[in-house]
Amino acid sequence: MASALATDFTNKIVYTDEVAEFSPEVVEEMKSHLVKYPPERKRSALIPLLFVVQRERGWIDNAGVNFLAKFLELEVTDVWETATFYSMFNLRKIGRHHIQICKTLSCKIMGEPEITEHICNKLNIHPGETTADGKFTVTLVECLGSCGTAPMMQIGFDYHEDLTTEKVDQILDSLK
Amino acid sequence: MSELIKVTINEQDFEVEKGARLIDVCREKGFNIPSFCYYSDLALQASCRMCLVRIEKMPKLQTSCTITCTDGMIVTTQSEEIEKAQRAMSEFLLANHPLDCPVCDRGGECELQEMIFDWGDVEERFTEKKNVEPEKFLSPIVANDPQRCIVCKRCTRVCDEWMGEDAIEAGNRGVNTVIGTYGGWLNCSQCGNCIEVCPTGTLLDGVYRHETRPWELDQTITTDVYGSDGMQLSIGSRGGLVHRIVARDRYVNGLNGEFLDVKARFAHEFVNHPDRIKTPLIRYKKGGKLIPATWDEAIHFVGQKLTESGKNVGVVASPRLTNEAIFTLKRFAKEVVGTDNYAVSDRYDLSVFFDNLSAPLATHKEIRKAKTLVLIGGEPEEEQTFTAKQMRQAVRNDGAKLIIVNHTPIRLSAQASQFIHINPNSYDAFVLALTDSANDDANAKKLGIETKDLADFRQTLSETEGDTVVMFGGDLSPQAQSVLANSADAFDGTNAKVLFHPLPLYNNSVGANDLMEGKKSLSEVLKNSKALLIGGSLQEADTNLLANKDFIVVQELFETETTKYADVVLPAASFAEVDGTFTNNTGFVQRVRQAIEPVNQSKADWMITTLIAREMGADFGYNFSATMVFKAIADSVSAYEGLRYPALKDESKPVQVKHAISAKKDLSKEFDVLKSNVEKLSDEANKLTATPRVGHKLHRLTTLTSKTAQFHLLAHGNPKPENLLVSPLVQFNLDGTPRTETADAAAVGVTDRINLKVEY
Ligand code: SF4
Ligand code: SF4
Ligand code: FES
Ligand code: FES
Repeated sequence: MASALATDFTNKIVYTDEVAEFSPEVVEEMKSHLVKYPPERKRSALIPLLFVVQRERGWIDNAGVNFLAKFLELEVTDVWETATFYSMFNLRKIGRHHIQICKTLSCKIMGEPEITEHICNKLNIHPGETTADGKFTVTLVECLGSCGTAPMMQIGFDYHEDLTTEKVDQILDSLK
Repeated sequence: MSELIKVTINEQDFEVEKGARLIDVCREKGFNIPSFCYYSDLALQASCRMCLVRIEKMPKLQTSCTITCTDGMIVTTQSEEIEKAQRAMSEFLLANHPLDCPVCDRGGECELQEMIFDWGDVEERFTEKKNVEPEKFLSPIVANDPQRCIVCKRCTRVCDEWMGEDAIEAGNRGVNTVIGTYGGWLNCSQCGNCIEVCPTGTLLDGVYRHETRPWELDQTITTDVYGSDGMQLSIGSRGGLVHRIVARDRYVNGLNGEFLDVKARFAHEFVNHPDRIKTPLIRYKKGGKLIPATWDEAIHFVGQKLTESGKNVGVVASPRLTNEAIFTLKRFAKEVVGTDNYAVSDRYDLSVFFDNLSAPLATHKEIRKAKTLVLIGGEPEEEQTFTAKQMRQAVRNDGAKLIIVNHTPIRLSAQASQFIHINPNSYDAFVLALTDSANDDANAKKLGIETKDLADFRQTLSETEGDTVVMFGGDLSPQAQSVLANSADAFDGTNAKVLFHPLPLYNNSVGANDLMEGKKSLSEVLKNSKALLIGGSLQEADTNLLANKDFIVVQELFETETTKYADVVLPAASFAEVDGTFTNNTGFVQRVRQAIEPVNQSKADWMITTLIAREMGADFGYNFSATMVFKAIADSVSAYEGLRYPALKDESKPVQVKHAISAKKDLSKEFDVLKSNVEKLSDEANKLTATPRVGHKLHRLTTLTSKTAQFHLLAHGNPKPENLLVSPLVQFNLDGTPRTETADAAAVGVTDRINLKVEY
């Protein structure tokens, strides 16, 4: 269901001209990506820069898209096209902790459905949704390359492996 | 020409040009190949997989749209294997497609529908749930029904490659791919080309949608009435109403293929507008009201009054009128009044260009194939849209060099290999610099550029191997235009042919200039005459010269600034209601054809003038037939010699009038003016750095014959959806209520609105 985030394309997005602002260090970091590509091919830096925007702002928001379009001299729609293609860019505001449960074969066999059900019941949301307090977002994703320790999930940038319902409880309870 | 190679298609041998694309070759030789994503002259997509062929020695079936012919290639285009593959492909295309052509607005002219009838299977095996997306509007004039999309990406490619807008793209991935925009609104010039090229009912004309079915429309091929490119289009009409305008045909072989701009495609509401003048109007007393009258009364009154004024009658023709109308007005001046007081109410005077022309005019094809393009001043994307598209493609697809000399970074300058950003008002200096390489330093200073820029410019020109097309418009001073038009040699390359391309503003500017030989300037005519016969309103700025005249007759569609001064207004027919011709900016004479009966009591402009002439005792011998008017033109204007309507019948093979090429002239007078102008320029000037947004300029609502700017479209500087104008003629809020005037709109006096409800 990771694509549930990516398919968030409706007339509902309110389009504004607001442009995000980043600290000088972040702008420096962005520039350091630019130099890797020929000047007339600036747009090649779009994906690394989308990651920077997501890291800084939590998701690819309107102001962030406007910023990238200006920064790379693109149309906003070009940024949108790329951002929606990849499921790892969040096009909707997500919770403080982004729980990505692997739903691919190995994990599925090793008990992913049970884990998912447990997490969703515990947080009282469906996959793809965010809890009312804005703390957790749960999404189902494809293989995260940790099949040997299935079932597994990723929260933020951390892997949690060999999951059981008890382990999940512990992990979730430890998160602020 | 290029090398010939041998290919065998379906066991027949053919000689084809090296480098030809297989799909084109097969089609040319009469083998039908189905395709969706292939669109000649656009980047290759190869995503629909309908164009499969078997090529010997290649494993698997190949997509013929991506294959370049090689010597000895043996191709099969039809076999059981291929057919099976094509059926399977079409089944996939329909996997997510609603099967409800009867309610789809594209039904009847849908490429998918046709193709499925020809190649599809009768049964559908997919039982999975289909992706369903609600219908929506991408802009007030572009309706979108996402589930019908087959992701051929023609729309995104034309948006990018033809228009350079990048406004519409494909979002998401795989089966979830949707065509759309960020924020859900199209922020662009609203050209509607994406609608035109879409092979399915995904992108639709939001204004015309659900009005009627295409097979119920009469299709009349005619010529665009806004731009000077003379784009060919097809008016769809029914029961005296113009319902829609689409490009000439759905396959690329007319002058402009499927390309049209927003004005050509959407700005046809004026034809059946309720504000059209319904009957002749007479103002019996100065300062009084215009009162409806019959044609007999009005013509009689006009004849009497113009006869009273004797030789003091001046005649003014608008460059929006047909050649027939303009020519008849000139004959009226010459033969009935016996005066030389006639003029064209164009904003630019083209005679300086044509009098000094030292190289032939470029056709649009030649622009597309040129190796170097030089654009001095002007903004073709706003005013000569098709020319702009050809330029962009020449650069993008064939690597032509584009040199732009402009005082502001117009959008096309992103495509330019060299953009010479000069100071405002310094075009004269550039023209001087061009002809006088000894003073580069001084000239460069006046222009606000580096000396090296001029050297680079000359180098590009001299290294050009192929055609060089030089374009400039009337925003240059008349002297600058004369000198440029006369200096073809200044642009010579190694083995280049130099061609010129003027940038006139109106659909028949060139025709008006050709036919009104010996014309005077507009202000001269307006000042020197006591009475006036005006075919089509003047620019608003010129109307103050109309005060205090004895008698003014105006042939018009709408009441305008000009008709305020009129003593008699005669209702003229629009371009959709008359037969005639326009001459475009490449010298092509193209037919205007009658699609509907004249609205209300209106008559063709030439017919009105003829009636007045008859009342005054002159017979032009037209017998009320446009054919005879055109014959009279051909008999008396040398460039049009021998032309007849039948010769202009095939609009895919347009006829070019030959404009006389003049020898090198002594233009020292012009040079003196240029020099004194340049001396007055200060070295310190502030450059303009804003890129004007194309298609977003707010135009005043005008009509075929009201010759003020063009028409208003999108509020300038209001790219946001909630501020978009809902149709070329209407401005709306998001909730559907008409918008009160913005500062911009008020400034140019947008007054006319139609109620047109748009759902969001
Ligand atoms: S897009 Fe074409 S095939 Fe699809 S429903 Fe409409 S008419 Fe039929
Ligand atoms: S909207 Fe039309 S033109 Fe664009 S990709 Fe879909 S089917 Fe093709
Ligand atoms: S299947 Fe879950 S990590 Fe590979
Ligand atoms: S036309 Fe060749 S793949 Fe679409």
